[in-house]
This record gives sequence, C-alpha cells and structure tokens, in this order.
Amino acid sequence: MNMILAVLYREYRIRATSFVWMFFDLFMPLVYLLMFGIGLDKALSGGIVSEGITMSYQSFFLAGVLSMACFGIAINTSYGFFVDRDNGIFYEFLTYPMTRSQFLIGKIVFNCSLAVLQSVITVSVGVLVLDIPIRWPLMTVALVGIVLGTAGWFFFLAIFALRIHRNDIFNTVLNVAYFVLMFGSSMFYPVDTMPTWLRTLSLFNPLTWHTDILRFATIGFGSFETIMAEGIAFGGFLIVSFLLAVHTLRNAILR
Amino acid sequence: MSYVVGYCMGNIAVQTQDIIKVYKGQVRQRARALDGLTLSVREGEIFGLLGRNGAGKTTLLRILTTLIPPTSGTASVMGYDVQRDALKVRQHICAVLQENALEMFLSVKDNLTTYARFHSMPSHERERRAVHVMERFGLAEHGSKKVMDLSGGLKRRLQVAKVFMVDKPVVFLDEATTGMDPIYKRAVLDAIREQARSGRTILLTTHILQEAEELCDTIAMINRGKIVALGDVNAIKAKATSVFEVSITFEHLTDDVVASLHALAPMRLEQSGTSVVLCVNGVETHLLETITQLSRRVPIAHLEINGGTLEDAFVELLGPAEEKKT
Repeated sequence: MNMILAVLYREYRIRATSFVWMFFDLFMPLVYLLMFGIGLDKALSGGIVSEGITMSYQSFFLAGVLSMACFGIAINTSYGFFVDRDNGIFYEFLTYPMTRSQFLIGKIVFNCSLAVLQSVITVSVGVLVLDIPIRWPLMTVALVGIVLGTAGWFFFLAIFALRIHRNDIFNTVLNVAYFVLMFGSSMFYPVDTMPTWLRTLSLFNPLTWHTDILRFATIGFGSFETIMAEGIAFGGFLIVSFLLAVHTLRNAILR
Repeated sequence: MSYVVGYCMGNIAVQTQDIIKVYKGQVRQRARALDGLTLSVREGEIFGLLGRNGAGKTTLLRILTTLIPPTSGTASVMGYDVQRDALKVRQHICAVLQENALEMFLSVKDNLTTYARFHSMPSHERERRAVHVMERFGLAEHGSKKVMDLSGGLKRRLQVAKVFMVDKPVVFLDEATTGMDPIYKRAVLDAIREQARSGRTILLTTHILQEAEELCDTIAMINRGKIVALGDVNAIKAKATSVFEVSITFEHLTDDVVASLHALAPMRLEQSGTSVVLCVNGVETHLLETITQLSRRVPIAHLEINGGTLEDAFVELLGPAEEKKT
C-alpha cells in the first residue's frame, strides 16, 4: 500500500507544479461540453434524434465528453511513459522496492481519481447550467464506469507505450487511435444514424461500449440488455489489457 | 585467459553463477552481452567492474538490479535470487544508472524526498536527510530549483546524491562520476568510501581507471561478457607482467636516442627536456640491454623502472591485441 501511495504522491507532485496542467486536468471536459456541446446544439436547433428519442445535444454529448476524458487521461498517462523514459526515471523506478503491478496500479489510481473529479465537475455544471436531465440513482454506476474506463484505456495504451520505443511511432499510433476510435464510436453522434460500415466498425469499438454505458448511467439512454453485453465486453477488454500491460512491463523493459 | 586472485572473506552480498545474456535479435549472430560470468562480492566491499564499451558491465548491473532477466545462469543479491525474489532484491538495493534519472518537473529537494519516500523513509527523516545530502553535494543553494533548470553537472550530482538519502545494504553505481567536476567527484568518492566502511557493499563501473585504483578493494576486468582478470588492484597490475614504465633522464638527449626508444614500440612515450617516460610491453632482459646500449652513447643521470599502471594492465588485457585473439 505504501508503494502505491508513493506513486500517487509522485504523480500529484508533478501535476501540482503547473497551473495549466491542473486546469486541463480538471476542466478540459467541461470546456469541451460548454463550447462544442452548446455550439452543436444550436446548430442542430431541434436537438438530436436517436432510436426515436429526441434530446438536446448537450445531454447526448455528456457521456461522450466523459468517455473522452477517460480516454484522454489514459493517453496522457501512457505518453508519460515516454517522458519518464526520456528523463531516465522510468528505469530507475523499476529498481525501487515495489512490484510492477504496484507501479501500474499507483499510476492508474491517481488517474482514475482525476477522472472522477473531472466528471463530478462536468456533470454538476451540466446539470446546473445546461439543465441536463441526469438519472441520479445510476450515478454510482457512472462513476464506476469512469474509473474502469480510465483503467481499461490506460492498460491498453500502456502496452503500446511500453513496446514502442520510438516517440514518433508512438505518436502515430496515438493519432490513429484518436481518429479511428473516437470518430468510429458513439461519442459524437448516435450509432444508428451512421452508414452501415461505420456502424459495424463502431459496434466492435470498446470506446462505443464505454460511451454507451456512461450514457445509460447518466441520462438513461439505451436498452439494459445492450448495456449489459457492452459492459461484459468492456470488462473483458480491461482484464486482457491489464494482463498484457503487466506482462509487457515485466518482460519487455529493455531490448 | 582468466585470472582469479584472492579469496572471499565474510558474507557474500552479490553473487553470479555462469550468467549468460543474449539480447533479442542477436541469437542468430551468437553475440552475447554476458558469456558465463561468475563472480562474488563480499559485504562491505567496493567492487569495480572495468571493461571497454560494450563489454557487458551495464548488462550485468541491469540483471543485478532486476531490470532484465539473464538468459541463463543465476544471480543473487543479499541471498535473494534476482528472478525468483526480485522484490526482495529491490528492497536491499539502490542504484545510480548510467543515464540520468531525474524528475525534471520537481525541485532538487523534492527529487530527494520523493526518492526517499519510495524507499519507505519516515517523513521527518526524509527532510533531515535531504538537507544533509544537499549540503554535502553542494546542492543546498539549488534546493528549490526545478531540475530542468539545472546544468548537466548539477543534474548528475543530484542523481548520485539520491543514493545517499537511503541506507540500503547494496549500492550499484554505473559510471556515477561521469560528467562531474573534480571537487564534487572527490566528495562522491569520499562518500562511497564512508558508506563501504559502514558496511554497505558498493558495485561500480567506471572508465576512470585512476578512480577505480584508489577506490576499489576488488576489480574485475570484463571483455565480451567474460571476466579476464579478477583481484585487488596490485594483483590486476601484476597481470601486466610484461609491461614496464621506464623513466630515464639523460645528460643530453639526441635524436638517435629518441629514435632508439621509439624502436621499442612503446605503448606511450612522453618527453620533457632531457627526460623521457615510456611504457613498453616486452621482455625485461631485452629492455635492460637496450637501456645499457643507450647509456654507452649518452650518459644517464637517472633511471627508474616500475611495473605497469592499472591503465597499462587494462590496455594489455583488453586492448587491440587481446581483441584480435578473441
């Protein structure tokens, strides 16, 4: 436990050195919701229609912005491996008296805490300012979804961050991941209005599963059966990613 | 050729047995970073690993610090196997790696206290020790500066200073003093000696042979992943049996005398006024004959013949001639 707390403290100390980092860490999804959400809601004027239900774009986009926050935090954290490697501290960490799992868990606990804080701020302002109709009884499920989502994406991206040693290649992987996963998901628009090929792609996209779960847990949109299936699929994605990330950290530290 | 000199006393802190390390992608070329390396380091000993670039020193340190596993063979630190009990090993070591390993966004003091926190040091002790370490290594006036704003030399000093924050029984130092100015290098060497006297085991690599000579109790010279010489400094120097350092002061020095000295194919030759210092690799009787002949041509005011230095031994054991043999 001490080691996990030490990793947490280290992450906190680094973030606390920059006001800009702290602002983006806490308010980025909210700013996205207020600017992009409101802008698109006005452009769509009558709101957005999915599966025969009409809702404001901000309501629809709230889950998208929350899953984007989890994905973004995971990307930043996995990119942090590169920064740590450039600074040399990454290898020194691995000589500290802690297990590889403790190292990964410490990092992810910090980032999940950050994601929860971001989400609480975003949802609160969404309710108070944008009048988004939140389904409060399921808020705990939403928070669990945010934690598991951040963890799942972090473990998934950490596999690439640990295997790829060239910064430019990892940047390319991240850009492709951003582009394909985010725009090939239900984050920005409803899946049922997409062309067939894009809809098919999005159905196999863990970001769609995660966004759908958060949408169900925040505004109650979606069928319970679909959400359960997506929840199980995302759970599998998380477990496999965790095991692969720990394996990669144990065996592919240095070439 | 392998030499083993001396014997072990006291408890063994670090031990390797037939360690082989083949990196991925090198199997087909059969290039081995370590090739059946066996050694023991006693508790409280300062043990130096010397060798040319790529000899396998850093690979050995990476295995002993649990960063990478050996391909075969066993290694243990304080009795714990580096593969089976990796966490136990990490609980008994601290390391300065070859690359700088610093938290660039944190201050000098925060780097020290964060390091100590990872080694489970209590809060009040962290603060007290950080002040002491910063003073000792000339970092006190930079305590609140972010590391990214420090010069290269200060960064290295901080990197090394970290291991003096904690009291782990085994310390690994991979070219720790590289890039340090002579004054703080001296402070680091003094601190290392002090730590060894208090019972800590130090295993270091360095390219600065003078440093190894004055610091190490035992030295292992490594070439292509194998130990080619092992023992204390004098024992290693004695390996350079055919290397002599000759200092001659002539009453006057002529070009043909200098030419005769060059004909001995010295490993190095320094001339200052009528004095010449040369290091030659050859048979003692032949050397004496040559000097006698020279003295008949030009009177010699002073003559001194010594065995080779550690550097001479290094060159003889690991230099181009040995490279060709392997």
